[in-house]
Amino acid sequence: MKKALQVQALTKRFPGVLALDRVSFDLEPGEVHALCGENGAGKSTLIKCLSGIWQHGTYEGSIHVNGIEARMRGIRNAETLGIGVIYQELALVSEMTVAENIFLGSEPTTATGLIDWNQMYSKTRALLQEYALDLDPAARIGDLGIGHQQLVEIVKALSKDTKILLLDEPTAALTETEVEILLDIIRSLRKRGVTCVYISHKLDEVFAISDRITVLRDGCSIATHLAAETSKSAIIEEMVGREIKDLFPKRVSHPGETIFSVENLTVLDETDGKPLIENLSFSIRAGEVLGFGGLMGAGRTELVMHLFGALGKRVSGNVLLHGKPLENHTPSDAIHRGMMLVSEDRKRYGLVLEKDIGFNQSLASLDQFTKGLFVNELAEVQANWKLFKSLRVKAPGLEYISGGLSGGNQQKIVLAKALMTEPSIILLDEPTRGIDVGAKLEVYELINQLTEQGKAVILVSSELPELLGMSDRIIVLSEGKRGGEFPATTATQSQILEAAMTNS
Amino acid sequence: MNSTVSLRNYSMAIGLILIWLFFSFATDNFLSSRNLSLLSIELAITATLALGMLLVLLPGYIDLSVGSGVGLIGGIATVLIFHYEWNAVAAMLTGLAVAVGLWCLMGSIITKQRVPAFIITLGGLLVFKGLFWKVIQSETVPVTAGDSANAMSLTTTYYLPETAGFILLAIVTAFLIRGKLRERAQRAAYGFEVEPKRHSFLKVFVAFQVMLLCTLIMNQYRGIPLSVVILGAVAFGVFLLTRHTRFGRYLYAIGGNKEAAVLSGIPVDKVVITAYAILGGIVALSGFMQTAYSGNSTTTIGNLMELDAIAACVIGGTSLAGGRGNVLGVLVGALIMASLLNGMTLMSVDPSDKFIARGLVLAVAVWLDVYLSRKK
Repeated sequence: MKKALQVQALTKRFPGVLALDRVSFDLEPGEVHALCGENGAGKSTLIKCLSGIWQHGTYEGSIHVNGIEARMRGIRNAETLGIGVIYQELALVSEMTVAENIFLGSEPTTATGLIDWNQMYSKTRALLQEYALDLDPAARIGDLGIGHQQLVEIVKALSKDTKILLLDEPTAALTETEVEILLDIIRSLRKRGVTCVYISHKLDEVFAISDRITVLRDGCSIATHLAAETSKSAIIEEMVGREIKDLFPKRVSHPGETIFSVENLTVLDETDGKPLIENLSFSIRAGEVLGFGGLMGAGRTELVMHLFGALGKRVSGNVLLHGKPLENHTPSDAIHRGMMLVSEDRKRYGLVLEKDIGFNQSLASLDQFTKGLFVNELAEVQANWKLFKSLRVKAPGLEYISGGLSGGNQQKIVLAKALMTEPSIILLDEPTRGIDVGAKLEVYELINQLTEQGKAVILVSSELPELLGMSDRIIVLSEGKRGGEFPATTATQSQILEAAMTNS
Repeated sequence: MNSTVSLRNYSMAIGLILIWLFFSFATDNFLSSRNLSLLSIELAITATLALGMLLVLLPGYIDLSVGSGVGLIGGIATVLIFHYEWNAVAAMLTGLAVAVGLWCLMGSIITKQRVPAFIITLGGLLVFKGLFWKVIQSETVPVTAGDSANAMSLTTTYYLPETAGFILLAIVTAFLIRGKLRERAQRAAYGFEVEPKRHSFLKVFVAFQVMLLCTLIMNQYRGIPLSVVILGAVAFGVFLLTRHTRFGRYLYAIGGNKEAAVLSGIPVDKVVITAYAILGGIVALSGFMQTAYSGNSTTTIGNLMELDAIAACVIGGTSLAGGRGNVLGVLVGALIMASLLNGMTLMSVDPSDKFIARGLVLAVAVWLDVYLSRKK
């Protein structure tokens, strides 16, 4: 029997990063095939290659669908080949009805060219019945729960005669009952001969649903197992199974006194009131690196954003910085109190991309250069130059537009902006995401310099080797709660991963 | 950054020269000193308002209410002067205070209550228009009682005497030279490259020549109009504000990336409200000048001026999405709009055709800007 899909030696490079390294795997028709791997192992890149987002020619290797090589030039191409994708982020229009969403872009029309509403709604009703979904075709998407929205998304994909369905972390936002409904639907799809690729961090689900499991690590396909013949612990071992390379510069840490402490912190989402952080306590000393591990969506970013005064509503808990309470504060207050955040998304939260390097570097520190009304631009440029050179930013000069820089150099500008505020505690959220190895090493050296100067560093990272290599202690968050705490010297990647998955 | 801005300004400057060439051939007296003096007063009113508009466009906001505001604030001052026989200065200060208060209020609603600026200021457009008509009771109220001039009427009728014009020229030139010298000394002190002396001299010299030419032309008629001096002061103030203060940096940062601005510790709400407050003050200033220029406060004062102000900014390279724009560009844009209107009036163009021409120029200018930036 022909393979539904065959991927051979797929290699995808980004500047300075090898995202996929000769990945091979195949799909039997009608099977549920799970892809497992840490954040950054290459799962999402693989999905993007299979769905035509990365077009044929931007990668090496081949993709065969039903035995015929697929040279996809876009998402439409993939759709005509019968490949559909469900992303973690839903792609529905919340102001439109279920039917309108399902037929968005392929609305049935009458002979006169107007939309044939009757046909649209009757077709939708038929589709929903086919999958035994109790949904009103005329319901507004925004009025449905996330779980039902996810199901609509799946029906939408199936309405396009999808033979291969790629599900990228479909349960990340779902409640347990919603997860059960979703898994049932996937099982019924299997009976109809639809092939599914299931990506999830939640190994329980993976084992509940999949026939085979392929493990990805550092862009390589490590192994494929029959689900019945392997175990959770074996998969975890394969996911992390690598030596911590000598990437992390050695350092001696000699922590000083406690400068920052958090007690019984509980934070709610301002808009929907869902808990982001629940009853979390920790403290950090001068010269110490405290690592935060956990899965995506575990609340790590929300934690640092809240501590910085940019997110969430605190319902309980004390936060003390240098012994004084930090509450109802704005980022501006935090900066003045000696705290600075380097956010995980430098393009969205870090840089004014259309402005030059110097503008961005000093943006948070203009107070230092302002006497009276005016900014002393020469003193500012001088300070900018100093950081620009000491961080070895690779750019022609300070007047260079920051949007034109590589990821690593943009990250250096964001770090420079943070350093210029002279913080005593610095919150680094995924500081090495999407930057090349050389720049990573420089970031690590910088972290060590900071701790030598007696600054406290909170490091949020999804890369376990980095977390283990750079931190003194590691706290693992799981769904906003403490999942465990480990001293970095003795912790293992498996311990951390297990703690991260405890509540799921 | 500098190179792209100057390239765009360049294309607009060429457009301006073409417009001037056209009108100088199409009319007998476009380049006469009398008309240029008139044009400079019209420019002063348009450009002053546009410079205020720049302050809210930079952080990515907008204000549609400035035209009605011009009428309302001018009307308040006029009524206080004519009906209540207030001293003109006191009347103008009252108008200024009202304007700053109203614009603070709008800025607060926009930022704190998160209502889109477009909606709030559209509401302002209608409300201020209604208030304006109530204030002047839908009548025509003269700015001065009889022939006696007052501080408000003088904003567009006073001209600096010939010698005063030259003295002003000398003072401004002295400031330019002093600024250039200081800049050079500071750059040297901080160890930066200093431009060749020849370049510094040439820049100051060309600026001096241009100003001297303008002064001579103005002096041929009645002298430098006070409104031009007001525009100069406002332009210099806005230039300093946008280029050399924290506030100015924050305007660009908010317009460029609001989320990054918040996380950089910028008090976004405060900055935006301040921008609206300053705009309010400028609206008042424009209101006094526009009302004085027409001699009376009537129901049509300020009509469509918000669109002229936005058009001047956009022609001058200001981005409606925020983050891009500068004073020189706005001045060029305002000069284009003012020249068009003035020239067409001289040609006795039908009012309907004037609207169409101004609209087309706006569309073509922005298309050209998009086209040029895409081509690179």
